[in-house]
Amino acid sequence: MFSYDIWNALRSMRRNPILTSLMVAAIAVGIGVSISMLSVYHIMASNPIPHKSDQLFRVTLDSWGPLRPYDDSDPMKTPIQITYREATALMRTGEASRQSAMFETGLVVEPDSPDLIPFETRARAAFSDFFYLFDVPFLYGGPWDKLADDEAAQVVVLTPAINNKLFGGRDSVGEKILMSGRTFTVTGVIDRWEPMPRYYDTRNGPFQLVNEIFIPFTLTPRMELWSHASSSNWKAEKIQNHAEWLNSEAVWIQYWAELKSDLEVQAYQDHLDNYAREQKKVGRFQRPINNRIFNVTDWLDYREVVPNEVKVLVALGFLFLVVCLLSSVALLLTKFDGRSMEVSLRRALGASRSALLGQHLMEVMVIGFVGGLLGIGLTQLCLLAIEAMISQAPEYMLRMDWQMIAAAVVIAIVTSVIAGLFPAWRSCVTDPAQALKTQ
Amino acid sequence: MMQMKGITKIYRTDVVETRALTELSLTIDAGEFVAVTGPSGSGKTTFLNIAGLLENFESGSYHLGDQDVSQLKDRESARIRNEKIGFIFQSFNLIPDLNLFDNVDVPLRYRGFNSRQRRERIEQALHTVGLHSRIKHLPSQLSGGQQQRVAIARALAGDPLFLLADEPTGNLDSTMAGQVLELLEQINEDGTTVVMVTHDPDLAARAGRNIQLLDGAVTNDPKDLPEAVAAYA
Repeated sequence: MFSYDIWNALRSMRRNPILTSLMVAAIAVGIGVSISMLSVYHIMASNPIPHKSDQLFRVTLDSWGPLRPYDDSDPMKTPIQITYREATALMRTGEASRQSAMFETGLVVEPDSPDLIPFETRARAAFSDFFYLFDVPFLYGGPWDKLADDEAAQVVVLTPAINNKLFGGRDSVGEKILMSGRTFTVTGVIDRWEPMPRYYDTRNGPFQLVNEIFIPFTLTPRMELWSHASSSNWKAEKIQNHAEWLNSEAVWIQYWAELKSDLEVQAYQDHLDNYAREQKKVGRFQRPINNRIFNVTDWLDYREVVPNEVKVLVALGFLFLVVCLLSSVALLLTKFDGRSMEVSLRRALGASRSALLGQHLMEVMVIGFVGGLLGIGLTQLCLLAIEAMISQAPEYMLRMDWQMIAAAVVIAIVTSVIAGLFPAWRSCVTDPAQALKTQ
Repeated sequence: MMQMKGITKIYRTDVVETRALTELSLTIDAGEFVAVTGPSGSGKTTFLNIAGLLENFESGSYHLGDQDVSQLKDRESARIRNEKIGFIFQSFNLIPDLNLFDNVDVPLRYRGFNSRQRRERIEQALHTVGLHSRIKHLPSQLSGGQQQRVAIARALAGDPLFLLADEPTGNLDSTMAGQVLELLEQINEDGTTVVMVTHDPDLAARAGRNIQLLDGAVTNDPKDLPEAVAAYA
């Protein structure tokens, strides 16, 4: 009966193309809007590194002052960034198998080519472990080595965009770049890598592009690198030079560690708490010990990277789908009412109500399926439009993955069946004798 | 055998109650060709609908063969309609966008036959009514008489025990009506019980037995005559 029901569904759709088209269009528009919103939410709320998100930990320390907590609304919240002093201390002890302090800064690139004028790039100062922590793929070369970290070597890793700009996209490993008056050697060019959200630095925009270049963190004092992103300080310090900045209580550095087991996590937590106790002895960390580490998914939740507005938009999208389905119900009632003779005839010839209900619902499912497929196309168009409106969005940020494509089809079919239940039921309980008598 | 005893059927609306059949009792034996006649509103079509399990009734009992079919669930009555009963309607009731093959195929689809079995039965049924050569035609490409023959083929394809015909020649001219009636007579001779509702006394006269209804009850049934004569004697 399955193939017969599909055959009848297609026949019925062909017999009444205008009604069919209207129903398909209503479902497609509803799916297009609702799945667009859902896709945006899905991308924003997705796990950017699922294979090791439970092994990567964001480290926070409550170095805040004694008078008031970092967040008045929640005294248990710790500062989301740490000071330079803590960053260097934690890196020095190296308790985790891999770890990296990092921050965003800016450097002026002075190209060799006379065709290019000097330009400022968004740089990330980090340790070489950064690339291993986050599984950054490389197109050419690789990260600098530990020795370069230790010696604060002038080495750089480029993104494909900068490599294209400076070297026409060729393998530039070993090439020199003049940046902020210093010469850097290229050790690698990363491949396309746009984790979404950009979980390693949510403070500076979870949906921003990856930085354009990467340099060793240890260059910070020598090059007097300042953070180009926001910083906070509980203490009113008069900072007159870079050395004072590095020694201040300002928090401006992100810190990530890789911990592969619960034991390592516990050991690292103990390490942080011990560090805090040591600092208390010298008059710092005057609040109760409250050091927290978060794995990637917990960190994204903690940082609430998905704005409430997006959740509201998802709800509105599905509300719109309901409106579209209600119009489909009206169209289905019209369509099925016009078929009472055939339904009655089929009942007279031996079809049970349940068989006919199945036949009607199969038609609704086929309509939902076609509407879902068209809805996928509309979703792609909606996402392109949304992407065009977000100036900072990485290219191809808003694309449907297979989960969203499957969800679009399944939601289209299921909601269509729900919408079709009443019209189909009403059609199948028609008194066949009465309908045939009126022919 | 079709046996109804004391069947009463009442149609109700908010304000009106209409008694369509009142204590109707009759028995139709296997192989009979029965005409049911009577004026409009006498209950002929209601009788046929109840006989075909398309309507329920308030009281009485109905046996089809050895089975009591008075209170069947929808799925079971659908199965019996499909396997034991064939319908022929005055207005043919062919599905307009299906060709003859697919129209005749409709009841067989609900029977669970495989495609080979269905094809054999469809071709045989259309051959019986003389329309095998037009198997791919749409109903609209046929005359009224031909359309009714397709409806007969559809009823025959399932090899029913009973053929219920509601004014089968009502929409046909006399020539076509004659052809259709000859076909029904042939089907009856081959062993199928035919019950035909008609207004036409000439058609009724060609049936083996003519039951007359009035106000929802049997007023004249030749089968009762010997019993009446015996009672009178």
